[in-house]
Amino acid sequence: MQQITFVRGLIVSGLLLTTCVMADNDIDKRLDKQRDAIQIINQMEALYRGDSSRADMTMIVKTPHYQREMKMTSSAVGDEQSFIRVLAPKKDRGIATLKLDDEMWNYFPKINKVIKVPPSMMMGAWMGSDFTNDDLVKQTALTDEYNLTLNETETEYIVTLVPKELTVTVWGKIDYLVDRAAMVPIEQNFYDDRGKLIRTLAFSELKQFGDVRLPSRLEMIPLNKDGHKTIIIYDELIFDPDDVAPSVFTLRNLKSRF
Amino acid sequence: MLTLKLAIRNLLRNTRRTVLTAMLIGFSLTALILVDALMLGMLDILVNSITKNLVGEAQIHRAGFRDNFDVDLYLSETNKIRETLDQDPTIAAYSERVLAGGMLSSSYNVATGLMYGINAASERQVTQLPDAIIEGQYLTGKSGEILIGDELAELLEVGLGDRLVITLSEADTSELAQTLFRVAGIFKFGIKGVDKGVVFTNLGQARGVIGLTNEQSHEFALRFTDRALATLPDTAVYQNLNTSEVETLSWLQLNKPIASIIELSRFASLIIGSILFILAGLGVINSMFMSIYERIYEFGVIKALGTRPARVAGLIMTEALLIAVISCIAGLILAYILGAYTSVHGVPMGEYQVSGIAIDSRILTRLEPYQFIQFPIYVIFLTLVAAIYPARFAARIVPTEALQRSL
Amino acid sequence: MSLLVKLAFRNIFRQRRRSLLTALSIGGGYFLCTLSFSLTEGSYNNLINLFTLTKTGHVQIHKNDYLDRPKLYKAIDDYAVIGQQLDHMDQVKSYTYRTFAPALAYSDDGNRPAQVIGIDLTRERATTLIADKVTSGHYIDNNADSDGYFQAMVGAGIAESLKIGLGDDLILISQGADGSIANDIFKVGAIIGSSGGGDDANVYLPLIAAQSFLTLEERVHEIVVTLDDYSESEAFAEAFSKKLAETLPGLAFSNLTISTWQVVEVDFYNSMESDKRGNAVALAVILFIVFIGVLNTVLMSVLERTREFGVMKAIGSRPATILSLVTIETTMLAALSVVAALFLTLPLTYWLAHVGFELSEPLDVGGIMFSAYRGEMSWFVFGVPFLLLVFFAFVISIPPGIRAARILPTQAMRSF
Repeated sequence: MQQITFVRGLIVSGLLLTTCVMADNDIDKRLDKQRDAIQIINQMEALYRGDSSRADMTMIVKTPHYQREMKMTSSAVGDEQSFIRVLAPKKDRGIATLKLDDEMWNYFPKINKVIKVPPSMMMGAWMGSDFTNDDLVKQTALTDEYNLTLNETETEYIVTLVPKELTVTVWGKIDYLVDRAAMVPIEQNFYDDRGKLIRTLAFSELKQFGDVRLPSRLEMIPLNKDGHKTIIIYDELIFDPDDVAPSVFTLRNLKSRF
Repeated sequence: MLTLKLAIRNLLRNTRRTVLTAMLIGFSLTALILVDALMLGMLDILVNSITKNLVGEAQIHRAGFRDNFDVDLYLSETNKIRETLDQDPTIAAYSERVLAGGMLSSSYNVATGLMYGINAASERQVTQLPDAIIEGQYLTGKSGEILIGDELAELLEVGLGDRLVITLSEADTSELAQTLFRVAGIFKFGIKGVDKGVVFTNLGQARGVIGLTNEQSHEFALRFTDRALATLPDTAVYQNLNTSEVETLSWLQLNKPIASIIELSRFASLIIGSILFILAGLGVINSMFMSIYERIYEFGVIKALGTRPARVAGLIMTEALLIAVISCIAGLILAYILGAYTSVHGVPMGEYQVSGIAIDSRILTRLEPYQFIQFPIYVIFLTLVAAIYPARFAARIVPTEALQRSL
Repeated sequence: MSLLVKLAFRNIFRQRRRSLLTALSIGGGYFLCTLSFSLTEGSYNNLINLFTLTKTGHVQIHKNDYLDRPKLYKAIDDYAVIGQQLDHMDQVKSYTYRTFAPALAYSDDGNRPAQVIGIDLTRERATTLIADKVTSGHYIDNNADSDGYFQAMVGAGIAESLKIGLGDDLILISQGADGSIANDIFKVGAIIGSSGGGDDANVYLPLIAAQSFLTLEERVHEIVVTLDDYSESEAFAEAFSKKLAETLPGLAFSNLTISTWQVVEVDFYNSMESDKRGNAVALAVILFIVFIGVLNTVLMSVLERTREFGVMKAIGSRPATILSLVTIETTMLAALSVVAALFLTLPLTYWLAHVGFELSEPLDVGGIMFSAYRGEMSWFVFGVPFLLLVFFAFVISIPPGIRAARILPTQAMRSF
């Protein structure tokens, strides 16, 4: 699911240590902290790692004007390939999205057409949620693209990611809060260049999925839009399942019966 | 000479009438000049707003590009086009551009937009973009700079220095490309479509984003040494650069409805002018007749003394000529004073929008030599023509009748 | 009194040449003024009518600030109830309902952005000139075909870009009011407008089809009202606003904004006003010149008869009589000149109003194509210059009239 992709991307960036150049004798201390930061991110990444995955989830979109609940099932291989199909509500049953690398297609059963998503729609909301198509697609290949720093409290690790000057992103800063005890993500905060919090992604409701214990509830709240919220709940999450074949990630599969 | 002296004296005899007639002719001339100057002023604003804003005086594109602004329809081997333009003495400046539509995202919002990649220096010579900047500064050529319209800035909630990510699909491959820019300046053209949907970046960087080489671009905007050349079909650039692949069009062809406006205003000027002339002519005739009636006894006398009809007619014509000349001088002076004032301070008008182009507030009148040379000549000519009838009448006065005339 | 009138009348025809010249001057002035009025009023009125009857109507009703910041969810509930209220208002000639949504239009040949407009087909036809904008195919109806597809009227620009024609499929993707992805296929039943026109990016759907497509249920975005004349717009907007407040006080009907066409198309209105101002300046100049001409001739006509008036006074006419005579003569002459001028002015104005000037290239004024510059035939156009000129002739004859009245017979008879 795209959220995993995104979070993964974030974590992958932490893997390749960025060079935070600091010219003072705290360097050692900082490097230590960075190593810790990497470690933490590693661990978070390890939580969600898997070459492939399958999930059943519920997405709830709240706006001041409507509230929608959708049930979906998704399959993903790595960061490049994902397939999502809507199961409910009945009206939208069968709508499917296929992502291969940078490209995205939607299938609409009502009109029986596969539509390639043009760039103009890429930054638009995905299925009316507060996530953009772009969140889904973009690799945020963050290797070398962010500078990391680590702060700690008794209960939390806070990894701060600041994009490098040439990094292509709309965010000025991202905070990644991790629960020290459970080693699961708590929150991601997205700031503009002025340090104003623009949107926040909250993780909650730890649940056991097979061998792994993860937050099953993700809440994306855009703070510059009153009354908007998107909630994703993982009803089921299976890593490295046997039934994620390459044929799942084809245009033909968009139209297939299920 | 005698005729002249007589004419002058006659005119001075009844100063009130002379003044009134002179006023009529003079004011008519002034009105003609000022109205014409006003029309010219309006046209100027219209044409300026078109040619100096984004369109330029002419443009070169790949045939069919303007239908949909398809990023794949780019000009190739533009170095050859540049060479041709450099060698053309009628071209004063040109600006090469790339265009691509895509999504603009800020930290706060998303919007669709058209990205223009321009060469900052050459663009400055062709259009008025630098003057439209209301905040920040014009492009300097530094990577990452972007200029955004004020309405778009409001929509995306960005200010100077803020991030802007452009997402578009590359030429030929349609692969997705994203680039980070920072708002360097905010402009206001007053044209809705532009202020809400166009952004400007540096040509080099834009080419890189879209995936075009240095010899590829979408458009050339041209400025001629004399704007009039733009609409003449013989101008070199239309001959050389119009093929099946490449088309070169003037601003008039690119803005067809404007041609109608121009046609209309010329037409209106003509009509108003003609009827004003006729009115003035009538006034002159009347005035001449009055003066003849007054002196009918006199005419009777001089004809009885043997003055030839032709000379009498000549006298009348001379009087008319003198009045005409004096009136015209007065009229020209008044026109010049009023015209000079309004060409600097303008005539206040409010806002005007035609074909998506905002014509703003005051109209500055434009005085032209032909108004001060041709118009007076027409007026003098008209006055003379108008004086023919009275002159003939005077020539044909029968002395016996005239001398009997009492009332 | 009647003696004076007779005298005045006779005087006019006595001095034919002078009267004729004065009459020509006044008549010519009238001709010019009337034509100018006709053209400016005509083009102005024509344009407004064209605009309001083609696109905006005279008054529009929206929810909140939909007009400034259109959003799908800012829709009017229970619009039929509002419609009923409109039925009770006499000034209302017709009204119709519309919904709007931005969408992507797809065909096998590509995609492009489009504006979906759901219209009540019968009402829309009675309210605006939309049926005249169909350039190909027929004005559609509310029926879905055997496959369940509704028809759409497609803007020429879209038809061209997507290379679709009558009978072809048009796919529309948008976002529903409930957040879902709206997707549906429509059959092209008609092409609207021509390439480059204001409807280029529009797709018109039957209202019920649009409401279903956008999951709008029983809501619309806009109610368009036309009145008998556009000048009634402001009065009507106010009156209806009050009426709504009285008769429909419920929550559903709160926050309704009633806007006149001047507000809806504020750019157009501003440019018209500005144009009007420009015209006013031009007209003022014309009138000024005309008046100078009239001043000239009237003044001279009176002044040259000084001797005549001297004689009249000598034989006992009162100053008042002379003044009256002068003013009556001048006014009568002015009136007669105008009437005579009508012989030429009427047919020309008629031609102007019905044929006018064809523009070589239609003018795009705010999205509407304007192809003929027409004049107007109305009491205003003929009456105002008439009144102005006659009044002016009357006024201008007074000073010389007074002068004539005060003249000393002996002085008068000595001069010419």
